[in-house]
Amino acid sequence: MIENFLKILVCDDSMLIRKRLKEVLKSCGCNNILEAANGQEAIDIYKENKPDLVFMDIIMPLKNGIEAVYEIIGFDKEAKVVMASSAGTKEHVKQAIKAGAFEFVQKPWEKEQINKIILNLK
Amino acid sequence: MFSQYFGQYLLTEKYLTDEQLKIALEYQQSVRLKLGVLAINAGYMNSQQANQVHQMQSKIDKRFGELAVEAGYIKEDQIEELLSSQKFGHLLLAQALIDKNFMSLEKFERAIYEYKKKYNISESQFNLLQTDDVHEIINIYVNLDDEKYGVEIKQYIALFMRNIIRFIDSAVYTKKIMKIEEFKTKCVVSQRIKNSINFMTYINAEQDVFLKIASRYAEEELTIIDEMAKDSVGEFLNLNNGLYLVGMSNKGIELDMEPQSVCFEKKIGLGYVLPIELPFGRMELIISTT
Repeated sequence: MIENFLKILVCDDSMLIRKRLKEVLKSCGCNNILEAANGQEAIDIYKENKPDLVFMDIIMPLKNGIEAVYEIIGFDKEAKVVMASSAGTKEHVKQAIKAGAFEFVQKPWEKEQINKIILNLK
Repeated sequence: MFSQYFGQYLLTEKYLTDEQLKIALEYQQSVRLKLGVLAINAGYMNSQQANQVHQMQSKIDKRFGELAVEAGYIKEDQIEELLSSQKFGHLLLAQALIDKNFMSLEKFERAIYEYKKKYNISESQFNLLQTDDVHEIINIYVNLDDEKYGVEIKQYIALFMRNIIRFIDSAVYTKKIMKIEEFKTKCVVSQRIKNSINFMTYINAEQDVFLKIASRYAEEELTIIDEMAKDSVGEFLNLNNGLYLVGMSNKGIELDMEPQSVCFEKKIGLGYVLPIELPFGRMELIISTT
């Protein structure tokens, strides 16, 4: 099973959201999960671990998700980033896609949405 | 949701006591809604006609609907409509009050009439209220007509209440919104919404209520105000505000927001305080426009 080998980075300043997303990913068979609580942490962890997929929130302290995506894509133009935010305004979606994210998931997300992203990745 | 408002109306207008309301709210879970209450609520019959049919029933072994149609009080298609319509929460409460002899049919009829008159509610608005249409309920109960950002704040409150119902508890109602110059909080999470409209939004509550809100949103029992509890209430506010931004964006107004923060015993300046009553206690939604 490919999902057993996927390395996934979950970046959200909410520990509750990280916990919920981790639970969903584990139920999809993904057990290699890294965590970051802000954009800067996500960049640092990405550079060190090169995960296969990143779930990135937008509104976060220190460095927001859009800035972090720019830096991650700048470091690795093959990086696969999914923006997962409650603030899915037209402007945020536009900014996220421009920064290099390939998908936008509006919070609160459903388990099936996450599952579909993992299945498409395979 | 509307049944909570109607219950509060009956209390403030002294139709019943706290104790009677409490008993009726417990009893309403098992109540069987009768045609008389439905017909009075819809305005198809008055209480006098309903009482006459009840008296006929003590002499003639026929159903309420049959006798009411025979007496010319109601039409058959109206009965069918009532029986197939949604059983609204406030009617279960009214039936419970009538069954417990806390209220007569006459009093119920008068209460409905006076309620519509007090809040200047049209029939179409009343139909929306009965279906727990949050936008309509907030429209009637939250008066900000002459305030700057009044429309936007009402939209915000309606969304907030929908999310309270969705994630925290459906048995919720609001008290009168207050304009404040200063407000001292207890446990509070806050988040700024900014750009063309600038609000500071706050959820404030005593520790025990704060913990309950946190537990409901996190879907796990939280017993102390630790990082998870603060995070849970903060994330609830963040989710609500994100959805508000999306709604405004769809109307062509692009807003942004800052990360949420948690603090205790904070003083808040000019703004609006909306007390929100939940079955486990009171919280306040505070919107500061400074």
